[in-house]
Amino acid sequence: MQTTIKIDNKVYRIEISETEGDLLKVKVNDKEHFFAKKELSEPSFTDFYAKDLNRETKEDGIIFRERVEKEIKSPLAGTISSIGVKVGETLRPGKKVATLIAMKMENEIVSEGYGKIKEVKVKANQSVNSGDTLIVLE
Amino acid sequence: MIIKNYKTLESTNLEAKELAQKGADPWTIVVAKEQTGGYGRKKSVWSSPKGGLYFSIILPKSNIDDLQTLTILAAFICAKTIKENSNLEPFIKLPNDVWVNGKKLAGILTENIIGRDVKTSVIGIGLNTNIKKFPKDLENIATSLKIELGREVDNQKILGQIIKGLEEQLRTISE
Repeated sequence: MQTTIKIDNKVYRIEISETEGDLLKVKVNDKEHFFAKKELSEPSFTDFYAKDLNRETKEDGIIFRERVEKEIKSPLAGTISSIGVKVGETLRPGKKVATLIAMKMENEIVSEGYGKIKEVKVKANQSVNSGDTLIVLE
Repeated sequence: MIIKNYKTLESTNLEAKELAQKGADPWTIVVAKEQTGGYGRKKSVWSSPKGGLYFSIILPKSNIDDLQTLTILAAFICAKTIKENSNLEPFIKLPNDVWVNGKKLAGILTENIIGRDVKTSVIGIGLNTNIKKFPKDLENIATSLKIELGREVDNQKILGQIIKGLEEQLRTISE
């Protein structure tokens, strides 16, 4: 759903959509905010771009407890053909992190949760085994 | 099964992936009369002028091993369909190309989006059916059914045969 509102002569472009799982994404101009839909009777706001996602999670205690990733592992053995992220970047569900050529197929590896990238442990053209850590998150 | 026909797409796989992420049902099929940015493995260019058959299928959620098997079987199904519609002797170049008389006739690319499990899978097939002529840089490595047979073939009929074959094979390997 998209709409535009005007407050004090400033125009806000608002887009509301569901993300994977139980989150509601509200995009205001270019900034994204996420709400948990099922875990709370009333939607609770959280700032996705908060610097310390883990700490915020602990304080909130509910919203991202299980959604903050610690690392992203390779689901298959194969060769990394490209990396789509870099250190310092913040991940969200569905964000493509790497392309892995494996089992005669091209596989986009995507994040399932949130987190800030601390280390990228693989390079393009590197072979990986199933379960190898690709990305370490803070 | 839903077949979505397009005049032109950048790539049927790209469109199918986008539709899948928006919640399109499995066995939604994206067909284009031409692709402006058709690609194969490792993003190699797949020449896709009008006349060819270019389509991608959103696959049902499947085990990754089944998807690998299906990719290889798709080459077999393409070769079988070509044989059923002509007197040609197609050759399967593993993992996912079909050749005729030493030149490439069809290519298959399966793309998955994987998180903790497989989220989305699409299989794309490019089959050079009614292409009259290839550019100079491709004419020694690519061919079409029209060039080989000297006549046009029915793209719709071939599409139907390949889809039916893939559906049967996926059912068999998933069981």
